[in-house]
Amino acid sequence: MIQRISARRNPFRRNHLFVFVFLVELVFILFAHTPVRAQEDPATLFQVCAACHTIGKGKLVGPDLQGITERREEAWLIRFIRNSQLIIQEGDPVAVRLFEEYNKIPMPPNDLSDDQIRSLLKYIETTGKQGTGNAGAATAQPGPAAPPKGQAISQKPAVTEEIPLPLERNSNRNFLAIFLVTLLIFFLSIIDLAVTKLIKARFIHVIIILTALFVMGEIVVVEAKSLGRQQYYSPDQPVKFSHKIHAGQNRINCKYCHFTAEESKYAGFPPVQLCMNCHSLVKEGKITGTEEISKIYKALETGKPIPWIRVHNLPDHSYFNHAQHVKVGKVTCNECHGPVEKMDRIIQVNSLGMGWCIECHRTREVQFFDNEFYTRYTIMHDKIKSGEKSKVTVDDMGGTECGRCHY
Amino acid sequence: MKNYYSSYEEYQEIRGPGIIPPESPHDAERNEPDEEEPSMSTSRRDFLKLMGFSLGYAALATSCENPVRKAIPYLNQPLEITPGISNYYASTFFDGDEYAGILVKTREGRPIKIEGNGLSSLTKGGTSARIQASVLNLYDLARLKHPLKDNQQTSWESIDSEITSKLSQISTQGGKIVLLTSTIISPSTRQLIGDFMTNYPSTQWITYDSISASGILEAHELNFGQRMIPDYRFDKAKLIVAFNADFLGNWIAPVTYAKRYSQGRQLTESDSMSRHIQIESYMSLTGSNADQRIQIKPSQEGLMLLNLYNRIAAQKGAPVYPADPSPVETASLAADLLQHEGASLVISGSNDPNVQIIVNAINYLIGSYGTTISLSTPLTLKQGIDREMITLVEEMNDGKVAALITWNVNPAYDYPEAARFISGLQKTGLTVTLTERPDETSQLVQYVCAGNNYLESWCDAEPLKGHFSLGQPVIPRLFDTRQAQDCLLRWMGNEKDYYTYLQEYWQNNIFPQQSAKGLFTDFWNQCVHDGIFEMPPSEDVNTLYTPVRMTSSFPGVTAGIELVLYQKMGIGTGRHANNPWLQELPDPITRATWDNYLCISPSDAHELDLASEDVVLLNGNLEIPVIVQPGQPGGTVSMALGYGRTNCGKVANGIGKNAYPLITMTDGHRNYFSGNVRLEKTGKTYPLGRTQTHHTMEGRAIVRETTVEEWHKNPKSGNEMHQDIVKQNLTLYQLPVFDGIHWGMAINLNACIGCGNCVISCQAENNVAVIGKEQVRMRRIMHWMRIDRYYSEEADNPEVVHMPVMCQHCDNAPCENVCPVAATPHSSEGLNQMAYNRCIGTRYCMNNCPYRVRRFNWFEYANNDKFDYNLNNELSKLVLNPDVTVRSRGVVEKCSFCVHRLQEKKLEAKLENRTLKDGDIKTACQESCPADAIVFGDMNDPESAVSRLMVNPRTYQLLEQIHTLPSVHYMTKVRNMDPADKKRNYKNTYPIVSGEETTENISHE
Repeated sequence: MIQRISARRNPFRRNHLFVFVFLVELVFILFAHTPVRAQEDPATLFQVCAACHTIGKGKLVGPDLQGITERREEAWLIRFIRNSQLIIQEGDPVAVRLFEEYNKIPMPPNDLSDDQIRSLLKYIETTGKQGTGNAGAATAQPGPAAPPKGQAISQKPAVTEEIPLPLERNSNRNFLAIFLVTLLIFFLSIIDLAVTKLIKARFIHVIIILTALFVMGEIVVVEAKSLGRQQYYSPDQPVKFSHKIHAGQNRINCKYCHFTAEESKYAGFPPVQLCMNCHSLVKEGKITGTEEISKIYKALETGKPIPWIRVHNLPDHSYFNHAQHVKVGKVTCNECHGPVEKMDRIIQVNSLGMGWCIECHRTREVQFFDNEFYTRYTIMHDKIKSGEKSKVTVDDMGGTECGRCHY
Repeated sequence: MKNYYSSYEEYQEIRGPGIIPPESPHDAERNEPDEEEPSMSTSRRDFLKLMGFSLGYAALATSCENPVRKAIPYLNQPLEITPGISNYYASTFFDGDEYAGILVKTREGRPIKIEGNGLSSLTKGGTSARIQASVLNLYDLARLKHPLKDNQQTSWESIDSEITSKLSQISTQGGKIVLLTSTIISPSTRQLIGDFMTNYPSTQWITYDSISASGILEAHELNFGQRMIPDYRFDKAKLIVAFNADFLGNWIAPVTYAKRYSQGRQLTESDSMSRHIQIESYMSLTGSNADQRIQIKPSQEGLMLLNLYNRIAAQKGAPVYPADPSPVETASLAADLLQHEGASLVISGSNDPNVQIIVNAINYLIGSYGTTISLSTPLTLKQGIDREMITLVEEMNDGKVAALITWNVNPAYDYPEAARFISGLQKTGLTVTLTERPDETSQLVQYVCAGNNYLESWCDAEPLKGHFSLGQPVIPRLFDTRQAQDCLLRWMGNEKDYYTYLQEYWQNNIFPQQSAKGLFTDFWNQCVHDGIFEMPPSEDVNTLYTPVRMTSSFPGVTAGIELVLYQKMGIGTGRHANNPWLQELPDPITRATWDNYLCISPSDAHELDLASEDVVLLNGNLEIPVIVQPGQPGGTVSMALGYGRTNCGKVANGIGKNAYPLITMTDGHRNYFSGNVRLEKTGKTYPLGRTQTHHTMEGRAIVRETTVEEWHKNPKSGNEMHQDIVKQNLTLYQLPVFDGIHWGMAINLNACIGCGNCVISCQAENNVAVIGKEQVRMRRIMHWMRIDRYYSEEADNPEVVHMPVMCQHCDNAPCENVCPVAATPHSSEGLNQMAYNRCIGTRYCMNNCPYRVRRFNWFEYANNDKFDYNLNNELSKLVLNPDVTVRSRGVVEKCSFCVHRLQEKKLEAKLENRTLKDGDIKTACQESCPADAIVFGDMNDPESAVSRLMVNPRTYQLLEQIHTLPSVHYMTKVRNMDPADKKRNYKNTYPIVSGEETTENISHE
C-alpha cells in the first residue's frame, strides 16, 4: 500500500495548515492564556514523527531514525525538520537523494524551536541507544512482535490471521422461531389436554407443557439480559475507515489517534486535522481509492466534522474512565475492544455488561507496588508482607463497589 | 439541656400555656390524599387502559432498537480542550449588586459550575448562593435572543444606524441625553462612558442602585470630603455592633464580610473570638448569627445611635447633642465600645445620611478609622445617589430629557415611584435599554439592545481601590446579542471592540503601575489567567475627619406598626428572580421557598389573631400571607423585596408581591422601611412552601452549644456528653476498618452563618432537580443538603443555630441494612453509596435514616412538562454536570460526598504517580463556603485537617448515642456571652419579654 502512495509534486495542503494555525492562534488570542504547547515533552513530540518514522524498527513512510544524530549534522537536521522542502529545492544532495529514495513524499514542515528540535533529537538518540523502542509506529500495541531491524514493513502483511474473529452474532441463535414453535406445542398440548384428548396419558401433556415453559423461560431470560446491550454491533460508518489498514498493516499506535486515552475518561475521536498529518500526503487508499479519503478533505472544506457512529456505548448511569484503565491499570486496548487491528469495520466484541466488567475486576491485579498512590494502603501492604495475600486485585481495592462506577 | 424548636408552631406546643396550637398546615397537607394518586376503585375502563398500555409497552420494549449514538469530534481540537476533562477559567462576577472573583468550570466548552477564586484577597474563594446560581442564568430560555425595536425583532445594523442618527441629532440640538446605569465598578467602562460623554457632550450619567447606599456615600462626603464606602475590616474587630445591617447576607459586600467575619469565629487555630451585637428590626441572617440581638423599630435607629454617641462623646469630651431618651438603654453598649477602643466597629444599614453621620462620629471617637475601617481602600460597589434619580424622574416628567439610555437597571419595577418613572419614560424622545434579559423597563422602551451574559463577556472590575479583577468569556455567545460596552462604542462611531478597548485601558493605566512584568503581553496573560491583579497595599492615609452637626429629629418615628423591607438570600433585589434554583432555595430564617410574605412578631400575631399562612390586607391594597416569625420585634412586620415580577420569565412572573412601592422617600433618600402600616385580617389563607418542619429529628440532642467563657474554662463544655457516649458505645460486632482512605467531614457550627451557598453549590454540582412549590409543600424537596435552623429560648427574641445536614455517611448505617436489593451498600472508603439503577424505590432506607437526608424521586423531574424548570428544555440542560447521573422516577438519592470529585482526584494522583495530598479534594459545599465552615478529608491520615478537627474537644457526631458512627462531625456552637453581661443592663425595654429572663436562660444544663 505504501508504494502506491501517489508521488505528486506538492501534495501538501498548505492552505489548510494556515487555516489550522490561524484557528489555533485565534483560540490563543480569544482565551489569552499563556500558551502552553502540549508537545513540550519530546516523547509527545515524537508521536507526530511516529506516523512515518521509527527508531530502530525499520523503514516506514520515512527512514528509520536510529543513529540519525551520528549520520547527519545537527544544523542540517534542524533545518530539514523545520522545512525539508526548502533544502530539497536548494539542491542539497543528501536531501534530494532521500526525497527520491522515499518515493518523493515530502516531510511536512514543523513549527518547532531550535530547543524543541534539539530535545527531540536527544530523545531519538537516547531511545535508539536503549534499543527498547517504546516509541515509533511499529510498536502499535495490537500488532505482534515488531519485525527485525531494517526490514521494511511493507514487504509482507504484518498481521497473521490466526484467531478467527467473532465478527457476527451467532447465526444459530434463531430464538424467535424456537420460541414460536415451543409456544405452538404448548398451546396444542393444552388444547389436547382439555378438548381433543388425542393422547390418553396425561403425564405426557404435563411433561410437554413443563418443557415448553422451561424453554420459553430460558429464551426470555437470555434475551432480556442482552436487552440494551450491543454485542456484535457493527454499524456502517460515514467514512469506510479501516482499522485493519491503519492499526494492523501500518501499525499506527492506537493512542496516536485516540490520544486522550491516557488522560481523560474518553479515549477521544481524532479531530479531522489529525487525519491530515498523514492524509495530506496519502490521498489514495488501497481499496477505496480516493473516494473515502476525500471525505476528510470535504469535512475540512465545509467545516462539518465527520459524524462517526459510536460502537461502544455505556448506559448513562455507568461511569467509565479510559485513563484509569489504560494509564493506571495498564490494560491494553485489545482486552476490551478485541483485535481491532484485524477489523475493517469496527465491531463490538465484548458485551460491555456489568458481569463482564466485574469478572475482570475480580481477577485483575492493580499496580500496587509501582504506583505511589497505593502506599497509604498500609493494611494491604502488611498482608502482602506477611504472605497472607499474594496479589492485590482491583476487587481488593474496592473495585467492585457500586460507587466506583455508578454515581 | 436547652429546648430547641424549628417554628413558632412548635414553640407553642412546647411553651404556650393556654394557646391552642393550630394544626400544622403541613400535617394537614400530609393527611390530604395526594392529587396525583389514583382513586382506589378500579373501573373496567381503567383495567382495559392498563392492559392496553402494558401490551403496547411490552411490544415496544421488546421490539425497539438501541438508539444510534453519534460521536462527533472536533475539526481542529483546541489544544486546551480535552473532552472529559474540566477547564477552569478565572473571571469576575458583578451584577450591579454583588462582587466576587470566580473560577468557571467548563466541560467541552460549556460552563457548568462557578467556584470562588482563591487568589482574590476580597472574596478568598467564597461565593454566595446567587453567584453559584448565576451559571443557570446563562442558559435561561427567557433571555433576549436578538435586539428589539418596539418589541419587534430587528437587526443590529438598523438599530445602530437609527440610534446613532437620533443621538447625534439630539446632541447637535443640545438636547439632554441621560445614561442611567447600575453601579459600574469596571474602570475601563467608566473611561468608556467618559468617552461617550465627550462624544455626546449633552450626556449626563446617573447611577441608580435598586438597593441604595446613598446615606453612607453622602455621610462620608460630609465627614471626609469623599463619596465612598470605607473598607470594613470585620476580621480585625473584637466587637462588632451592627444596626440593621445584614452584612453577612445582603449588605454591600456580603461574601467579603462573611470571610472576614468567620475568621474571628472559627475557634480552631486561635482561641479569641469576636463579639457581635446586632440591633435590628427583623430577624436577619446576620442577626441570627449575633451573640446578642437587640430589637428596635426601624425608626428608632437614629435616636438610639444619637444616644449612644452622646454617651461616648461625654466620655471623650466631644460635643453632645440634645436627644430624646433612647428606646433601648445604651450605657453598657457605650462602655463596651470604649473598652474595645481601636478594635471595635459600628455599622448601620440605614440609608439616611443623618444616621450615617452619627455612625461615623462614633467610629471616629472609638478609634475605628485606621484600624477596623480603612479609608485608603474604599469600596466602589455602590455609587448611586438617590437625589440624582429623583431629579431625573422629575426632569423626565417635565419633558427635559431627550434621550434615556438605561443599562442594567429596571426602575419600572424597582423604583418606589415606578409609575412616575414610567410616565416620564413616555415623555422621553428616545428610550433605549441595554439589558441581558427582558424586564419591566425593557417592555416600555423603543429599543432593546440584547446584551451578553457575563459568562459571554469581557469585563474588568475594581471593587476595592487597587484591587483589579478581570473577567473573560468562557463560552461563545449563545444568541444574537452584544455586550453593552460594544453598543456604546459603536454609537460613538468607534470601530474598536470592547476587548481591544479593555486591553488598551489596562496597557495604559494598570500595566505602568507595576514592575513585575516587563512586557504587557506577559502582564495581560498573567492577569487573565489569575483573574486578579492587586496593587501592594498602601499605607493607611490619615484622612481628615470633619465633624458635622447632627440632627436630633428623625423622620418616621411612629406609634403604629412599622414595615421593614429586606432582601432574601436567594432572590435579593429580584434581578435573578427567573432562576428556579434561587426560587426554591429555602430562606435561611423562615425556611420558605417560592414566595414572599409578611413576617409578624408572635405578640402581634396573638393580638391580631393571626397564624402563619393567614392572609392580611396591607395598607388596604396588598393581600399578603403572614408568617409568625420568632425574633421579629413587636410592632414591626417585614417583607422581602424582589418578588412580584411581571416581565421576567415564566419561573418568576407572578411569584410573590412587589414590595418596592412600599419604600418611602424622605429628604431625597430612600428609606427601606415605612411607618404606620395598616394590617387587616382577611380570613383567607394562602399556602406557603416552607421546609422548616420537613425532616426534623424529633427534638433529640442535635445542637450542642456553650459560651466562650465556659469554653475557655473547659474546651469540652457543652459537649460533655460526647465522652460518655463514646464510652457507652460498646458493640459485640467488630468495628469497621478502612484500609487506605476513610473519608470524613467536619462542620464548624460556630463558623457556619447559614447563608445557603452550599445548598445551591450542591444543587449545581449534583444535578439536583427543582420540584416547585406544590411538591415542596408535600415535603419532597430534593436538596441533598439542608441547613436546619433551630431556635432556643423565648420566641420573642430567640437564639438561633444554623446546622448544615447532609448524608452522614454512617459506618454503621441504618439505611444500608434494610434495603431489600442492596442498592445502598458501604464502600471501603467509608462512603454510603447509592446505586440508582439498582434502587427499586421501597423507601425503607428513607424511613430508617435517623437524619432524614434521603430524597425520593416521586416523579420524573427531567423532561416533564409538569416540572417546567431547568430540566425541561435543551438549553437549560446544558448546565448539567456530565459526571453525575440525572436520576429518574422511583429512586432514592442523597449526598454522595461528591464521589465523582473523589474519583477524579484519586485518578489524578494515580496518573501522576503520587499519594493524595490533604486538601486535594474539596466537596462542592466546602469549596466555595464563604465562612470556611466545612472541612473534608481523609480521617485515616492523622495529619489531615479533618483528623485534627476530629480530636478537637468541641467535636461531636449527630445522634451519636444511637451508634450509627457517622463520618460527618460537628463542632459546638460557642456564643460570646460574657457572664458579666447578665449584670450589665442590656435590657431590651421594647419587646414584651424582659431581657433579664432571656439572659438568665443561658445556662446549658
